[in-house]
This record gives sequence, C-alpha cells and structure tokens, in this order.
Amino acid sequence: MERKKKYYSAITKRLLIAFFCLSILPILIFAWIMKDTVEETNIIKLRELATSTIEHRTEVISIFLNDKISLLSMMVSFYPREFFLVQQNLDNLYLAMGSRGGGDIVDLQVIDAAGVQHGYVGPYRAIVKDKKYSEAPWFQETLISGVHVSDVFTGFRNVPHFVVAVTNSLKSFVLRATINSSSFNSLLHSAQLGPHSDAFIINRAGNFQTPSLLSRTELDENEKKLISFDNKSQAVITDTDIYKTRWIGNGQWLLVLKANLADSMDFYLTLRNRVFIIVGTIILLSLSAAVTISLALARNLERADKEHAANSMQFAHVEKMATIGRLAAGIAHEINNPLQMITSQAGWISELLPDEDPAAVKNLAEYKSSIEKIRHHVKRAGTITHRLLGFSKKMTAQQDRVHINELIAETLSFVEREAENNSIAIIKNFSPDLPATMTDGPQLQQVFLNLINNALDAVGPKGMVEISTSLSADGRLVVECADNGPGIKPENLEQIFDPFFTTKDPDKGTGLGLYISYDIVKKLSGIISVENRTGGGALFRVILPIKSYGKQE
Amino acid sequence: MREFNVLVVDDEDEFRDVIAKSLEKRGLCVEGAENGLKALEILEHSRTDVVLLDIKMPGIDGIETLRRIRSLKPLVEVILLTGHASVDSGIEGMKLGAFDYLMKPIELDPLLEKLSDAYEKKRLQQEKIEAALMKKHMSMPI
Repeated sequence: MERKKKYYSAITKRLLIAFFCLSILPILIFAWIMKDTVEETNIIKLRELATSTIEHRTEVISIFLNDKISLLSMMVSFYPREFFLVQQNLDNLYLAMGSRGGGDIVDLQVIDAAGVQHGYVGPYRAIVKDKKYSEAPWFQETLISGVHVSDVFTGFRNVPHFVVAVTNSLKSFVLRATINSSSFNSLLHSAQLGPHSDAFIINRAGNFQTPSLLSRTELDENEKKLISFDNKSQAVITDTDIYKTRWIGNGQWLLVLKANLADSMDFYLTLRNRVFIIVGTIILLSLSAAVTISLALARNLERADKEHAANSMQFAHVEKMATIGRLAAGIAHEINNPLQMITSQAGWISELLPDEDPAAVKNLAEYKSSIEKIRHHVKRAGTITHRLLGFSKKMTAQQDRVHINELIAETLSFVEREAENNSIAIIKNFSPDLPATMTDGPQLQQVFLNLINNALDAVGPKGMVEISTSLSADGRLVVECADNGPGIKPENLEQIFDPFFTTKDPDKGTGLGLYISYDIVKKLSGIISVENRTGGGALFRVILPIKSYGKQE
Repeated sequence: MREFNVLVVDDEDEFRDVIAKSLEKRGLCVEGAENGLKALEILEHSRTDVVLLDIKMPGIDGIETLRRIRSLKPLVEVILLTGHASVDSGIEGMKLGAFDYLMKPIELDPLLEKLSDAYEKKRLQQEKIEAALMKKHMSMPI
C-alpha cells in the first residue's frame, strides 16, 4: 500500500513537472524576453529623445550665440571707427541693442587696436575706465580671428556672463560686449528630460559654463571622459544614464545632456508591472490547473487501478467459487454412490427382517431401529450432497424465478449452525406472499450471505441479527439485514462499498465482500444502501425490482 | 402389483446385486448388466419392461445407452439414475424419452413406485398397440 502511494505521488510529481515545463517555463521565458525588450525599447526611445532634444537645444543656443556675434559684427561693419569713439553714439547703440537683444547685453566697450579703451556703456564704467587690454589674450585672439567668445564667468553682479568681442575688417578697433548667459540656463531648463536628468554646458577644461540643473559643481569620472569623446551621432550609455553631447559654436563649449534611465522607466515600469501581473496570473492559473489536473489524473489512475484490481479479484473469486463448485459436485457425486449402497443394503436388511422369526431373533427391534437410523443418516448425508450439487449448479449465472423468502431461508441455513454456536439469535421477519422475481438467485444468495456473515461478525456472541423482507410502496422487494452490533463509523459509511475497504483484520477480510455485493445488486438493477440504526447497529437494505418476464409457472 | 421384468444397468456389482435381491423379494424379475453394451445385448432377447439405467458408467454412458435402447426397443421404459444432480443430463434424458430420472441415494420404496409407474405406462402402451394390431388382423381378409 505504501509502495503504491509512493507510485501515485511519483506520477503526480512527474505530471506536475511536465506541466511546469510545458506551460510555466515558456511563459517565464516569454516574460523574461518581454522584460528585456521593453527595457531595450525604453533605452532606444530615451536615446532618440535625448538626441532630438540636444539637437534642438544646440541649434537654439547656437542661434543665440550667433545672433549676438552677428549683431556686434554688423555694428562694427556698419559704423565707422569714429562713430564708436563718440560716447553718445555708444549710449544710443547700447539702448537700441538693449531693447532688441532682450537685455542680454550687459555692457558695451570700445577698444582701439592698441588696446586702449575708448568708450564704455554699462554698470561698471568706473572700474574699466582707461584700462589697457593690449596684453589680454582675448584681445589678441579677437584681433587675429576677428571674433572672441569667452568662457562664462560670474561677474560683479554674481550673474554668469560671457564676453563676445569682435573687430572690424580693418581691425582698427574692437567692440566688446558682456552678455548675460542666464538665458542659456532657461534654454537648458527645458532640456531637462526628468527629475534626475541634467543639461549643462562645459568648456574644454571641464568647467561648468551653465549651472548643473542638479546643482552639481563637479563632473564625475564618466563625464570627464565625455569631453574628449566627440562623436556627434553616438550616445554614451552607462548603467544609469544616457549621455549625449554636442559642441557649440566653434568648439569651445560642449553641451551635455544627461538623461537618467530610471526617470524614463515610469512607462517601462507600468508596462513591466502589467507584464508581471499577467504572467503571474497565468502562472498561478496554469499552476493550479496543473495541480488540479495532475491530482485528478493520479486519483483517476488510482481508482481505475483499484477497480481493475477489484475486478480481477472478483474474477478470481468467481473462478475460485466455480472451482469449489466443481470440486463439491465431484465429491458429492462420489459420495452419492456409496450412500446409495448403504441405503440399498440397509433396505435389503429391512426387507429380510420380517422373514425372521421374532422369537429366534433376540434383538429384532434393535435391528429395526438401527436400520431406521442408518436410513435417516443416509438421508441427512444425501441432503448435504444435494445441496453441494445445487451449489455447484449455481455457479453459472442465469436468470431464474426466485422466491426471495425461500432464497434467504436457504441462505440462512448455511449460517444457522455458526449462529447457534455463538448464541446469535437470527430473527426472520418475512412478509408472506411476496411475488417471485426473475433474477440471478445464486448471485443474490451471495449478496445475502455476505450481509448476514458481516452482521454475524459485527454482533459477536449473544448478538441479534434480523432479516426482514417486504414489498415497498412502489412494488419493489425490500430486504433488510439489521444487527445490534456497534454500527458503522460515520466516516466509513461513505466508502463502505469501496473495493479493498475493510475494518476487519487483514487476514480476516479482503474488503471485497461488500464491493462484490454492491456490484451484483447493481447488475441486477437493484439498490444496496447502508445506514446506522437509531437503536445502534447497522442496517443494510437491498431493494430489488420485480421482473416477471421469462418462463411462467 | 403385477410382476414385471426389470434390467438394472450399473457398473457396481454390489449395487446391482442388492437392488436385484430387493426387487426380486418384492416379486419382480430382475436382470443385471454392468455396462451399456451388455445391457443392449440382454435387451435383444429378453422380455424386459423397465430399465434402471445409471448415467455415469465407463464405456458408453447412460445417455448414449438410452439413445440406443430407444431405437432398439422403443417400448421399453427407461428410468435414469444419477449420482449427479445435473439437471441438464436429466433433461437430456427426458428429451430422449426416459420415463423419469432419479437421484442417488434413493430408497427402495420410492424406486419401486417409479418402476411400477413406468411399467404401467409400458403396459398401457403395449395394450394399445396390441389392440391396434388386433383390429388390423381382424379387418384383414384371410
């Protein structure tokens, strides 16, 4: 039994593994691929966004810068040198540019080719008065290349500035403008792609030209490397961020756009969570389905096996009974011949006895009574052999007219002796005049024999077994076999007709008796049921239909 | 009771003897045969009225013997005797025209009763035949 249990649990386990491999594993793989794909898609999307953003910002900043440069260039080309030497003109120009430039230009300075300042409009007139710039690198550069754009510096007003200086084609003077770079900041603000994303401009030395949007003051290692990495199309992707860079202007400034991957993950996360939820649900469903199906399959298998075993046992039982029947018939036949001899010889003596002279035969009466006894006992033995022969005859299944009361009475005759030995009272409560029915008498007899034997086992010595027959209201035969034993435990009532179910000792009962009885009654279109009597003890009830087809007497 | 001839066919000598003795004591003429062939031989030239035939015998069995008796002497009545309660062989015997079948062990009185019934039947049959023959003879011009 233990081994069988192990076998079925092994089957269950194997089924579960198969289900797992067939259903859950693919789902998991799918989920994994899905997750990676979504992640990758997210990175691609973010990179595209970063690219388009940086391109746009670069353009805007370049335009801004070029705007300033071209404005100044236009001025120096448009007006002669003498014009700028007049302070009044400069003032007017400043005012005009101020209104046009949106307040970006903080001050204007006119310096001659020798580096001497000639005019200034702006808030720091006193500080820059008569200052000489001939040695200043930016001045040199302006004279050489015509244009100079400085790094951003924090001016006296603690506002980031940068300087644009231009010279005319004759390089006879330099027009220098200080430009408030805070408008860059606002341009970059809108380039921020998320709360942990950043956008800033650095110079070639790696100094921040605009404040980091995350208020950082120094570049980290990755970012320092970026400065030397100048590839327009490729984005640099680290574990946490995507970097996109563009040189602005003449390669002096680098616009850096840092897009944080985690920020953009929101969309991905919802998608991923949805995938996880769906996958989880599917896994749970298929897991429960797998468990249910596996258990059900194993249980069905177990039941089928049990039934098969029970059927084989029943078949073997029938075989055995048939063999016993043949054996019994053989013995009965062999015994009947000597019995015949005994009775014939005894008969011969009784034929001769009357010829004797009663006076001469001293024990004549004794002889006569002895012969009578011989005859009586031969008759008894004959009854037994005839019953044995009848038993063997009954081993073949057939439908016959059966009087239920006679059948049960005959069945009881098999067990009466045993009941007597155990002082068990068998009460016959037969309803008279029950109609005969066409059924398999011998099989039915086996059912009643089983029930009665069970009852006798249940009550034990000095118990009571009651057999009653009656006709139900709807015209069916009802046979009840009741005992006053301990009854059946409620938890066993359900499975009492199951094959191999027994409460008897393993060597006493096979657990097949009631199963076979149930099977027989079912085959005879009857119903067998069990209940516990209120007064204690079990009550088995067999209900049989009355069939009247076939031969009539 | 009229005296009539009985042939007991059984492979057991003792049985034949005791039955013969008992029946003779009751006034019947009894012959014995230990097997079917012997029985047929005896039947050829004896005035047997009733045959008491055991079904189970070595050589040709009772049923086969019965069949041959019916063809040899259709008027002779046969009572089957069996130690086997096989209704089938009984029914088969009846179909073949046995008067009845009896189950061992049987006592003398019921056996005698059956034999008498069988003889009575045979006698009536024979009388009818004789009457018919008589009519035939009488109607025949000499």
